[in-house]
Amino acid sequence: MTDKEWEPKIVAFCCNWCSYGGADTAGMGRFQQPSSLRIIRVMCSGRIDPMHVLNAFLEGADAVLVTGCHIGDCHYVNGNYKAEVRYRFLEEMVRELGLEPERLQLNWISASEGEKFANFVRDVTAQIRQLGPSPLKPEGVN
Amino acid sequence: MVKVGDRLLGYATDPDVRSRGASGGLVTAVLAAALEKGLVEGVVVLKRMDEYEAIPVITDDVQEVLASGGSMHAVPVNLAKHAVGRKIAMPGKPCDVRGVIEQAKRNGVDLESTYIVGLNCGGTMHPVVTREMLVRMYEIDPEDVSGEEIEKGKLIFRTKDGEEKAIPIDDLEEAGYGRRENCRYCTVKIPTSADLACGNWGVIGELAGNATFCEVMNEKGKRLLDNAIEAGFVDVRPADEKAIAIREKVNSAMLSLGSEWKEKVFTEMPDQERLSYYMEQFADCIHCGACKEVCPVCTCGEDSKCTMFHSLADNYRMSMYHMVRLLHLSDSCIGCGQCSDVCPVDIPVTSIFRRFADPAQKKRNYEPGMDLTRPPFLEVMLK
Amino acid sequence: MAQKESITKTEEFTEYEEASDPRIGVFVCECGVNIGGVVNCRAVADYAATLPGVVHSTVNKYACSDAGQSEIKQAIMEHDLNRVLVASCTPKTHEPIFRACVEEGGLNPYLFEFVNIREHCSWIHMQDKESATKKASDLVRMGVSRARLLEPLQSTEVPVTNKALVIGAGVAGMQAALDIADMGYKVYLVEKNPSIGGKMAQLDKTFPTNDCSICILGPKMVEVSRNRNIELLTYSEVEEVDGYVGNFKVKVRHKPRFVDVTTCTGCGLCVQKCPIEVPDFEFNEGIGTRRAIYVPFPQAVPLRAVVDRAVCIDCGACSKACESHSINMEQEETFSDIEVGVIVVTTGYDVYNPEPTHDFGYGLYDNVITGMELERLLNASGPTMGKLVRPSDVRPPKRIGFIQCVGSRDKKRNRYCSGFCCMYALKDAQLIREKYPDSEVYIMYMDIRAPFRNYEEFYDRARDMGVKFIRGKPGRVTEGKDNNITVRVEDTLTNNIYNLELDLLVLSVGAVSSESSERIRQLLKVSRAADGFMMEAHPKLKPVDTTLDGIFIGGVTQGPKDIPYSVSQGSACAARATRYLAQGKASTEGITVDVDVDICVGCGICVPMCPFQALSLVDGKLGIIKALCKGCGTCAVACPTGALQQDHFKNNQIFAQVRSAFTFEGE
Repeated sequence: MTDKEWEPKIVAFCCNWCSYGGADTAGMGRFQQPSSLRIIRVMCSGRIDPMHVLNAFLEGADAVLVTGCHIGDCHYVNGNYKAEVRYRFLEEMVRELGLEPERLQLNWISASEGEKFANFVRDVTAQIRQLGPSPLKPEGVN
Repeated sequence: MVKVGDRLLGYATDPDVRSRGASGGLVTAVLAAALEKGLVEGVVVLKRMDEYEAIPVITDDVQEVLASGGSMHAVPVNLAKHAVGRKIAMPGKPCDVRGVIEQAKRNGVDLESTYIVGLNCGGTMHPVVTREMLVRMYEIDPEDVSGEEIEKGKLIFRTKDGEEKAIPIDDLEEAGYGRRENCRYCTVKIPTSADLACGNWGVIGELAGNATFCEVMNEKGKRLLDNAIEAGFVDVRPADEKAIAIREKVNSAMLSLGSEWKEKVFTEMPDQERLSYYMEQFADCIHCGACKEVCPVCTCGEDSKCTMFHSLADNYRMSMYHMVRLLHLSDSCIGCGQCSDVCPVDIPVTSIFRRFADPAQKKRNYEPGMDLTRPPFLEVMLK
Repeated sequence: MAQKESITKTEEFTEYEEASDPRIGVFVCECGVNIGGVVNCRAVADYAATLPGVVHSTVNKYACSDAGQSEIKQAIMEHDLNRVLVASCTPKTHEPIFRACVEEGGLNPYLFEFVNIREHCSWIHMQDKESATKKASDLVRMGVSRARLLEPLQSTEVPVTNKALVIGAGVAGMQAALDIADMGYKVYLVEKNPSIGGKMAQLDKTFPTNDCSICILGPKMVEVSRNRNIELLTYSEVEEVDGYVGNFKVKVRHKPRFVDVTTCTGCGLCVQKCPIEVPDFEFNEGIGTRRAIYVPFPQAVPLRAVVDRAVCIDCGACSKACESHSINMEQEETFSDIEVGVIVVTTGYDVYNPEPTHDFGYGLYDNVITGMELERLLNASGPTMGKLVRPSDVRPPKRIGFIQCVGSRDKKRNRYCSGFCCMYALKDAQLIREKYPDSEVYIMYMDIRAPFRNYEEFYDRARDMGVKFIRGKPGRVTEGKDNNITVRVEDTLTNNIYNLELDLLVLSVGAVSSESSERIRQLLKVSRAADGFMMEAHPKLKPVDTTLDGIFIGGVTQGPKDIPYSVSQGSACAARATRYLAQGKASTEGITVDVDVDICVGCGICVPMCPFQALSLVDGKLGIIKALCKGCGTCAVACPTGALQQDHFKNNQIFAQVRSAFTFEGE
């Protein structure tokens, strides 16, 4: 572990229909990614509770990703819109807390956008490697 | 018959109520009349413990209401939760009123059957701090105090033997006494979301000290005041231009003082320092839950997301309880200061919560407790 | 609530005991070498065995195979499992398979937990086997913590209205409607234009047989209009769609034709008298003209006139001419509400429009036209009666060139191949050579794509007929003397650069998703693919399904295709959709939300969150209409108390999953 580059742990909340499918498509396309991501599947990005996002940070996530269908494409009419409203709020909160803004990111990824998903994971991982472990990560946790 | 929007000067017709109550006993008389004529089933009154402390009780006795008059500057209890589920009339500082409005948005209070007589407020003092201040600053035994008054920026205490001592409020607050911190930077001094907005600002000349300036804010306010006039409990006359101008002047002076305080209290902190500041502050928390219990805008019962999902066994660097509360209160926190008052380990809960809530509310142009038609933005702004 | 009462529980649901003592079986699938080649599945299974609650842990070669499934079922019995976790591929395709498998094994299907270690692990960490194995173990640990907390759920069944809605009456929609109708169910066929027929009605001939398009389509259109089970709603648009599989409520807007369709005979007397003449964009691509009152085309179904009020001057000439007094300028739009059990979407496409970007001079030079315009120019009932002329001087062109892949296979336009443009260019080239043997016809192409029966032969035939092929995409198109067009193109097979002077240049434009199709897509909430067309549920195995139960897509709605393919998809949609109608029932989401009334304080914050109107306050507490709940869970987030929870994604389940994403030092 020590001789290897530090690998952050990133928790991604993905909606069943789009972004989870985007992660699948990335796999089908064999778009290689860092092994930093841990996906939590929910039915809709509207189910992504800011409480769970904060909890992920407290548990030790170096970054948390909120993802879902593109606006207008929600399978539950407008769950992703609600997710965005909550996300904007959460974003301000995380910033006020003093966490680096890169640690919380939102992205709309459709089930067909495998490459986009992979690039997102690569980009975020690279950013977090630069930042180092989250200051909220409890001692001894990885 | 008064009209919505009327600005009046009024007082209680009963000379006893008028002299005992602050500023002419109008508020006391209006509340008593509401009870007398069956507009409500009960009235929230403050039952005096001593000069510094009182507890809110609900009474259905008109005499008790009439006897309850008199201002107490050291009464920071928020009344909003006392309105839950009852058909009552209540007096209220701006933060009491705002708490009631936020409760109403969450079906905690039925505003149809709740009447609120708002009182202007320049700030309240914490009873414990006040006692300490009397000893340290005034060198008076708190038990000897018979009355207090604010005049020209000075806080005056009278003792039982008739002595008076005045100290500028600025000096008191510099020394860490005086008004509670959240009162200093409070942004609502006139409770315009109440049914009636009352206070002594703008009462001048011969009426000074024995009449109340009263603005009729809505239909319910009109009903309250008409009822009191019809019952013969109060007399009112239109306020003149000068009275209105002075009331506004006092208000804006208070507000600009408030924003100065705001800058003083909420100093900029670099990102990393801020994070460690929050972590350190919350590290003291013993999770007694008192801040949630007293919070006037929280409608949850004992079980809620903030309490159910935090465990003392967690090795978190920051409390999950406070994280969830910060999240849930950012849209509705009115900065009433209750949480700081009750915190047994002296975490500056209110000022921490305001650090989160203030920018969020400002950004969305949302002032909680001021407009019933604006739903809490975090969840319902979509509609 | 009537809806609530109509819900029936599946009768064969047995009572499953809720396990207080979880006995989890973990099955790590190698998927041949797909997973096994990267992830050390044995190590993952061994690790899983150490996790609390796991009583059985093993590796399968192919968990989804018959053998793999029987192993799972057998293990449930042998080890008395009450939870099953499979670590293999994606739940999007395989969750239903394994849910059925554990159900057959005697467990509630929702006591199954899926962990994706293929798409989300082995396939994306192919070079780093160690990290892949470690991540797979993490994912399994997360799954096990979730599995421990899973609860049995029951899905409910709802009755299905035995009627279908088909949106779009092109050839795919007509086929779908006819097939559903022939199976004995009522079909509403909604078409936004005054006549059915779609794009195929505009075509001259069809490849690879060169038979007349309308001659084969016309009888089908008549068949549609005569079918007793089909209610044709032309000049109508779907405005609102509500409900769910089996119970869709659809609002259709009927645009006023200003002509009484019940009495109009389509005789055309009114058309002759109408003094207003405007370009016919609706059917003739703006080449010919039509009147303010017009019959869309001679074979239109219904063969009825329609008034274009945007250009009509209200002179009354048509009214006077009409012998059946069918003209009614007072007509207003009307709405009708229909209820259907299934919806087939065949809204088709738009032809790529090269005008805004002036591709190859289109829109700048008169003699550059699109393939669709050429169809109308070649058509015997078209504006020129089938005489090929060029726009600048209305004279027959001698030298005609086609440029292929206009708007398609182009990173700046659309990356996809539209599939049919090669074939229609070959067809049009043949038709021109047949009609005008002294003409020169050039096709400038990148590749000629001619799969399927007789297509390659069709290409050969074009060569034999003297059509000249130049393999290259033109670099520059200019207009010269007599409005002739000069195309500069390199034949990349011979490396010769030509400055080809042409009388007429035809752009073989492809298909793009249409605005009206996009509107319907958004109404129905069907997913959108990267190319802008609607997205199918699975590219191979569910080509006409969508991710929404009871909604199907066919024809070019799903992506560019030719006529035979569109017709097959129309039939496929009919077959898929009719399953629901024939069964008369559909099962709704088992994953819904539940409220703990002891905790709920009736604050009502959640109520407006629900996009399906499933929530309301009843006596100060939250009430849920389960049949309307689609299980998105957004209300559960809004709930400040946590009283409202989404089944299968409960707060404690998510907390557990998040927590076990991390390890504590020494673990």
